[in-house]
Amino acid sequence: MEKNVNSSGERKLECGDVSKCFQLLERILDGDDCDGSKEVLKDKLSKCQPCFEHYHLEQAIREMLKNKCTKQAVPGELAASIRQKIEEIK
Amino acid sequence: MSEVQKKKYSDKEKNNIFDHEFMPHIDSMYNFAFRLTFDEDDAKDLVQDTYLKAYRFINSFEQGTNAKAWLFRILKNSFINEYRKKSKQPSKVDYQEVETYYNSDSVDYNITSDLRVDAVKDMLGDEISNALNSLAVDFRTVIILCDLEGFTYEEMAKILDIPIGTVRSRLHRARNLLKEKLHSYAKDMGYDADED
Repeated sequence: MEKNVNSSGERKLECGDVSKCFQLLERILDGDDCDGSKEVLKDKLSKCQPCFEHYHLEQAIREMLKNKCTKQAVPGELAASIRQKIEEIK
Repeated sequence: MSEVQKKKYSDKEKNNIFDHEFMPHIDSMYNFAFRLTFDEDDAKDLVQDTYLKAYRFINSFEQGTNAKAWLFRILKNSFINEYRKKSKQPSKVDYQEVETYYNSDSVDYNITSDLRVDAVKDMLGDEISNALNSLAVDFRTVIILCDLEGFTYEEMAKILDIPIGTVRSRLHRARNLLKEKLHSYAKDMGYDADED
């Protein structure tokens, strides 16, 4: 598998500051945009293999969480029961 | 809740706010409550209590502000005050210990390099859900608020009454803990990072 090659050349295989970079990538994915985040993201994804992998892994986990963990069925009678209690305290 | 602005809504306005701004969030509220309590009846009670409180304190809600965040904050406080005491789950995490371990570069790198996108994508809902549920409540909560409900860091800080910097660091730690759990599932499923 050609892991470290892309159109602009080779990605470096080691990240100089993993914690800082990964936290920054997570913030960007969460929409907590910081100055120039789009450029930073583009730069990191094209030049750094660990950052590239981390970004895509985080993205996949977020998608799975969103798709698989939000479908808890609300008990049918709950809304009616809430409305009834509200009527009682009015 | 801010008590600064005490404006009185008419009954009609109250009903309107309740029906159109509060009730549409019942699905998200129940999902949050269920993931906090792990019990259908407790979750129902928690959501019901939250809506009753919301109605009672409706005058401290400002129309045009984020009703969902306002409701989530009430639910979270009700959970801490009333349900957390009786729930069997371990209530407190030793943050110092977790922080020391989970804020190191090697941990960041090792977890990521050992867990792969295709392994995550092949996981079933149950595995993802169990991994999320296995996190201590404070870590679980930030993931739910951010990834499941799409709250911004600023909204999360208000819901949880913590500084935005704490939101960021707690989320990062929560994500590392979650990845570690997913990694152990991936290994059980036969994925091994060393085999390419």
